[in-house]
Amino acid sequence: MKCIITIELGTNAVRVFAFDLNGNVIGSQRGYYPTFHTAPDYSEQDPDQMFITMLYALKNLLNEHIHPKKYKVASICFSASMHSVLAVDKNGNPLGNAITWSDNRAKKEAQTLKSSSLGKTIYTATGTPLHPMSPLTKIAWIKNNDKERFKQTSKFLSIKSYIIKQLTDEYLIDYSIASATGLLNIHKIKWDSEALKFAGITPASLPDLVPVFTPLGKLKKAYQSSLGLSADTRIIIGSSDGCMAILGDGVKGEGRATITIEDSGAVRVMGDKVLKDVKQRFFNYLLTEDRYVSGGPTNNGGIIFEWFTKQFGDFKNPFDIEFSMQDLITEASKVSVGSEGLLFLPYLLGERAPIWNANAKGVYFGLNIKHERKHFIRATIEGILYEIYSIGKTLEENRGIKRLSVNGSFANIPFCTQMLADIFNKPVQLRQNFHSVSYGAFLVAATEMGIYKNLDEAAKTVVLPDEYLPDKQNHNTYMKYFKIFERLSTKLAPEFEEIANLQ
Amino acid sequence: MHQFAFQQGLSGELQSFPHIIELGAKKNQSIHLNSFPQSVSECIRIYYINEGKFEWKINDETYILYPGDVSLIMPNEKFGSEKGVLEIGSISWIHIRVPNHGNNELLSGKWSSLSETESQAINKVLSMSNMPVLSKLPEAGRILRYIHDEIFNQEIGYSTRVNQLIDELFIIITRHLTKQNNRARDFPKVFMQLEQALRQNLSQQWTVEEMAAIAGMGTTLFNEKVKSYTGFTPLNYLINIRISEAIKLLKKKDVSITDIALDTGFYSSQHFSTTFKKLTGYTPSEFRKNNLSLD
Repeated sequence: MKCIITIELGTNAVRVFAFDLNGNVIGSQRGYYPTFHTAPDYSEQDPDQMFITMLYALKNLLNEHIHPKKYKVASICFSASMHSVLAVDKNGNPLGNAITWSDNRAKKEAQTLKSSSLGKTIYTATGTPLHPMSPLTKIAWIKNNDKERFKQTSKFLSIKSYIIKQLTDEYLIDYSIASATGLLNIHKIKWDSEALKFAGITPASLPDLVPVFTPLGKLKKAYQSSLGLSADTRIIIGSSDGCMAILGDGVKGEGRATITIEDSGAVRVMGDKVLKDVKQRFFNYLLTEDRYVSGGPTNNGGIIFEWFTKQFGDFKNPFDIEFSMQDLITEASKVSVGSEGLLFLPYLLGERAPIWNANAKGVYFGLNIKHERKHFIRATIEGILYEIYSIGKTLEENRGIKRLSVNGSFANIPFCTQMLADIFNKPVQLRQNFHSVSYGAFLVAATEMGIYKNLDEAAKTVVLPDEYLPDKQNHNTYMKYFKIFERLSTKLAPEFEEIANLQ
Repeated sequence: MHQFAFQQGLSGELQSFPHIIELGAKKNQSIHLNSFPQSVSECIRIYYINEGKFEWKINDETYILYPGDVSLIMPNEKFGSEKGVLEIGSISWIHIRVPNHGNNELLSGKWSSLSETESQAINKVLSMSNMPVLSKLPEAGRILRYIHDEIFNQEIGYSTRVNQLIDELFIIITRHLTKQNNRARDFPKVFMQLEQALRQNLSQQWTVEEMAAIAGMGTTLFNEKVKSYTGFTPLNYLINIRISEAIKLLKKKDVSITDIALDTGFYSSQHFSTTFKKLTGYTPSEFRKNNLSLD
């Protein structure tokens, strides 16, 4: 019996899944790796620890679920977080840790570029918003501030490129991850010379560009034997977590959007055209040559409700955050829609789409003497989801959206899923049981094997029932508050900046 | 309050407790010059504030202590009042002798009835702690008072009881130390602190008990939380860190493989080699050859 293994190199952990050829999960394993914050605005990860953790998790999965049941691994397909940068020397050895997407050290580079006409040209060509998350600005930061490292660097890789190099000895980057670097011209699928010039590099400093289906060279012999995999196991480069999430939910064109909310979140649509926006609010990433994944990201997803729970949860048992969150949600459900006029702006971590304001802060607004703890709980959740809606709404100005699918640990909480249906006034489909990102990777690998003719055919096989239907009356109530939410989010910009300077 | 100060060698009361170097209680009603100068000692010194407000220097850092607070001064740390003056108020204290071979054996004296693993875990927490002041620990004051009472009254079983109380004092201090900065809410934060402690002391052997103690949790809860958070058991997670650090060192030509093995906490180069190969498919020397060959 053949099986497909997917490896997702996520923000905090690697998740390894095994699927049979019908897409059923045989087993899964996760492995956590830490993020280091050695200075304000810094977020780094150790590439070797990520590699070892991935090997260990993969090995455990193979030994527990695959080898004992006599499955033969047909292919292994990768996905990874976007926007990471790892400098390596001529021997391929890391020069320091990898810089992750949430690292903000390149603020100045991003700001300079965004306010220039060159910035506009680069955004139009590359589809990646000009923000410290983008590798374009990160490499420019290294060039300006860490000259020694810049000089020694032979290549700037993504985390996934580094992992692939360890396994097969090739320097490669897939279209999806490349299209999120801010360095790729997404219309021509070539490195963009103006962006590269701004970063101070040439194409030789970047890995080779390949489509997401590309089967790589053979797994090195040592790994074949330590993992118990045969020489003909296909290694597929795969895509980014963002693109895999929307593919895994079976979205292939107009009419549907996917909402992902884990710690952070995003709303995405897929289409055969780039989404143009003069305000530069959206990203446009490539899944394949003719499939663009467009949307907007938020910093303030489930992590904000976690913050709230840590401060105000009951914690009847030590460290039992899941239970404490559940308790709070039960309490929130007793408050009427709109939290009786208490409103929350969730921008504790600054915000990306749609306001793109790194100085934005959290705000509770409209407090009166009758408000209790339970109102705060509900208002907090409503605020997080209003922010999601504000992304969805700007997307909808460009694309018709008839239904939504949601995934991610926060969006999957039934109370939140229903609230999303009501706020958006659209039916919501839900993928139960497993991770959309990994299922997207399964579909890529299965398509590469010829099980599906192409990705559209593959996506068609994902049938999600409408599970949450909107309540029109609730929607109307939410919209009254959302108007205020939206206005406050921009109106407060001068005050956000002033207080940010004091913090 | 009864005031007294016993000193080892001078006070007969301490004869059967050679590990207690000093034991005392003082109610200070007026300020005397040079009554409390900064000093260094090889003992562990524990002070408890009953009344008053004290401004003390511990290792050149200033701390303000209030009633109910405890200061814990580890061997060879500088401690005293900056101006040499003891403020008005009331304090009690105990100084305990520790064996002078290595900081892994602070409490290995025969007097202690702690098991070996428990005393190792306590040692690790105490020697790695950088918080010399524990706030709001009135239990420590009560235990010191019981120790005083036992030594004064010398009732049947008192020598056993005194040693048990000292053990107990160390236990509650250790527990308080690991819980002081977390309210049992933020596991990721606790885990990050543990990860730092492990990385800074990677060459040491670690037991699950010691790791759990650093995290301020019981081993059952600790095992369960680590497994669900990381996907690995605590010891396997530690192997992840050891191997990934070893990989970095293997890429440097000038460190021998035996040194790398010991620096990253393996018993021997053999143990390192087997573990490394099991996970990466290469022996450390093969791995090194592959990564340096381009030079």
